[in-house]
Amino acid sequence: MKESLMDILCCPLDKQELELEVVRRDEEEILDGRLVCTECDEEYPIEEGIPNLLPPDMREGAPA
Amino acid sequence: MVDRERAAEQVYQPAEDSHLLAETAADELGDLPADTRVVDVGTGSGYVAAQVGDATGVDVLGVDISPIAVREARDHGVSVVRSNLLDGLAGPLDVVLFNPPYLPTDPDAEWDDWMEYALSGGPDGRRAVDPFLDDLPRVLAEDGRAFLLVSSLTDVEAVTERAAANGLAARELAEESFPFERLVVLELRHA
Repeated sequence: MKESLMDILCCPLDKQELELEVVRRDEEEILDGRLVCTECDEEYPIEEGIPNLLPPDMREGAPA
Repeated sequence: MVDRERAAEQVYQPAEDSHLLAETAADELGDLPADTRVVDVGTGSGYVAAQVGDATGVDVLGVDISPIAVREARDHGVSVVRSNLLDGLAGPLDVVLFNPPYLPTDPDAEWDDWMEYALSGGPDGRRAVDPFLDDLPRVLAEDGRAFLLVSSLTDVEAVTERAAANGLAARELAEESFPFERLVVLELRHA
């Protein structure tokens, strides 16, 4: 994900701002890292360039 | 890279509804300033996001709940976020596109794969449309526009009424008739 995306992302649970923690990036974008809610501290992974903003209980497995 | 065969089985591939939504939005929007915020909800393969991106000159963000869909859309060059509808997005968004699952499905039928999920609109066809309309006012910019594809199978009037209950004015921009349904592109704005 491009860093500029931070402006329009929020925590899906409480809609508060997220803080970006970069683990791996290239010149264009963040490839691996975390988005952490500044309010509730929930963590959302960024893997292979894709941020996963599903709440923890929706993150795994088949559609419910 | 996504396993192509698996993606084709599990991710909704562009069809008449995708084309109608992409063409209508592209015609209506024309060239947009590069910093315009455009989001394609339920992007699937990323087709609508890519088409509208090409037509407007804007990097359209694709959103999908399916892990396979977001990977396929990213492979097609679309910026993506995995999220349920608009849940992980903050406004203000200038343009929101949505080609939802709208086929009415038996309430007893369970979806157990991502393709069924991408197609199933629940008993009334509005499983995804209703929560989208309820949350849209939160993220839509004051003068923002949303383009929503709906089908006569989904009851266009019920969709318009739900929009109105959320303070959104709906207007029919385009339509196309098929043997079993009529597809409509609705424009939604703050009323």
